[in-house]
Amino acid sequence: MNWFRAYVIGVLGILLFVSVLYLPGFGSFQNKDVANYYLQNAWKETGSANIINSIVWDYRGYDTLGEETVLFAAAMGVFLIIRKKEYHKYGLNNKNRK
Amino acid sequence: MDLIIKTVSRILFPFILLLGTYMAFHGHLSPGGAFPAGVIIATGFALLIISYREGDVEHRLTKDELIDLKSVSGIILIILILSLGHHIRDEVLATQNIFSLWSGGLTPVFNIAGMFMVVTAIVVILYTIVRE
Repeated sequence: MNWFRAYVIGVLGILLFVSVLYLPGFGSFQNKDVANYYLQNAWKETGSANIINSIVWDYRGYDTLGEETVLFAAAMGVFLIIRKKEYHKYGLNNKNRK
Repeated sequence: MDLIIKTVSRILFPFILLLGTYMAFHGHLSPGGAFPAGVIIATGFALLIISYREGDVEHRLTKDELIDLKSVSGIILIILILSLGHHIRDEVLATQNIFSLWSGGLTPVFNIAGMFMVVTAIVVILYTIVRE
């Protein structure tokens, strides 16, 4: 089993190394179609002067909605885990808890 | 805390609110947006919580009110982004001019609702951590 794990890890490492070799170089102008499209068309498609804001809320609105959901989950998690004194307010039993 | 800290934070707090609100309302025209605006307003509340007692701040703005505000703004975001936004976006865009305050489709509404989401999240975390 250990040989199998070593084989899988080795193959994955070689694949990652080869794929890194084929990345475009830093600062090269390949594969910039999406960026050019945003720079040239975002102002007339969304009507927003701030292109970053139009990308965040208009082109990638679902992504930002997910971000807000993560924020909501984080706040509710902290609020539910750390509170101690308010168990009786919501009908939970306080005696069995530390 | 000290009298100087109390006075300075009391004077400074409305201006922090004003800066954050300006960033949220002007986010589709100039650098800024919902997340930095919310963080700026939350730092104002953090200043008040640190300089005064936590109960004095929570007496004015309770945790239940914060959670209600967060729920309402989250529901607005969910409705506008998931279902309604695609259908009314073109009609809203037809009534707008670029570089004016009411422009950018529905992004001003998104910015303001997102600002409320960030503010309420961070202030709820601050209340909870400071109390314990």
